[in-house]
Amino acid sequence: MMPILQIGPVALPFPSLLVLLGIWLGLTLAERHISRFHLSADQLFNLVLIGLISGLVGARLAYVIRYPQAFAGSLLDIFSRDLGLFDPFIGAVVGVLSAAIYAQHKRFPLLSTLDALTPGLAVFALALALSHLASGNAFGAPANLPWSLELWGVRRHPSQIYETLASALILGYLWPGRKLVDKLKPGGYFLHFTTLTSAARLVLEGFRGDSAPLPGGLRAAQVVAWIIFAICLYAVNRIKSQPKLD
Amino acid sequence: MDARLGRKFTHIILLLAGALWIWFSRITPQDALAGNIIAPRPGFQAPDFDLPTSQGAQIALSSLRGQPVIINLWASWCPPCREEMPALQKVYDSYHEQGLEILAVNATSQDDVQAAIEFSTRLGLTFPILFDRDSRVSRLFQLQSLPTTYFVGRDGLIQEVVVGGPMAEALLRIRVERLLGVPSP
Repeated sequence: MMPILQIGPVALPFPSLLVLLGIWLGLTLAERHISRFHLSADQLFNLVLIGLISGLVGARLAYVIRYPQAFAGSLLDIFSRDLGLFDPFIGAVVGVLSAAIYAQHKRFPLLSTLDALTPGLAVFALALALSHLASGNAFGAPANLPWSLELWGVRRHPSQIYETLASALILGYLWPGRKLVDKLKPGGYFLHFTTLTSAARLVLEGFRGDSAPLPGGLRAAQVVAWIIFAICLYAVNRIKSQPKLD
Repeated sequence: MDARLGRKFTHIILLLAGALWIWFSRITPQDALAGNIIAPRPGFQAPDFDLPTSQGAQIALSSLRGQPVIINLWASWCPPCREEMPALQKVYDSYHEQGLEILAVNATSQDDVQAAIEFSTRLGLTFPILFDRDSRVSRLFQLQSLPTTYFVGRDGLIQEVVVGGPMAEALLRIRVERLLGVPSP
């Protein structure tokens, strides 16, 4: 665990830095292989930039709209660099929607665009897992196994290590330099990533100690992952029975 | 069996296996023990401590059970700590009557008591300033960076940890209203 990176007098939040690094490396990798997906590097960069900026604005606006009285006495806090004043879920929704609207406006081919984003998403997933390892978030359920780790008062499943290994394996399997990518129909590359990631989440969430519960003790993230996994399998059947078109 | 049927059959088996795993790995009471374990992170019991104040009194965190508490670890030489103190005071003025307590725990082993007292007097801070002379509380809370702020609920559970600063006043108000259980406007 390394929540803070101390460089001289400056204390930097290491997990957040890893996420930023993941975005940068992911975008770089995606741009390097962009020619295979019928898009240009500029188009991809603009798409990601619009998604990120609108996501940030949406995440902050959601907070301001939800808690107007908290900002009433300190209007400048609307522009605060405080990360706690962002709504990540709304930010993600606004970011994805804005990028989708931009892509449609510019007439980007949908399936190829999703494929082009896939290497970046796979790198980002790995960076997110490493950020969990650094922060101690997404910790495991109590377990007394030979490979359990002492964390937050008890021995636990090393869920962050499971997550990192799974993300690394998915990235390795879907590495854009592999011939696998050329053999897939448009959208197939993204579908592979989504299928594997949802399956990994479905399995690994069962070892977590911080899952959001549903009635009956079911884990919310597992149920969502199962639904996405089912949609992916349905799409795999559809895509395999269609001719190669985009 | 042709390939298409074989694929569909495999997918159904995978989905059934997934559904079974969801059922078998559901949350048990043992998994939900976080609230009984003491650790300096959200969802866990805040470590208890007992420290002297600048007025010479002693304050124990456990004596404040039933009240929402903000624990702010700070030092007088740390710029973001100094910058967020006025916001903490404003929030204290607004919510102290509703039960909010703020404990400003000075990391005295890396600060100067006199400088801390002068700073708090100059700003007119009215919440208790506590002195962690032997770093016991810093160690209990696994302090990595100054300032670090813990939002503790009436049940003694840590609801949120903010590492670094300065915290915006709006963020403090939102977190305090959550601690107090005040519905959002």
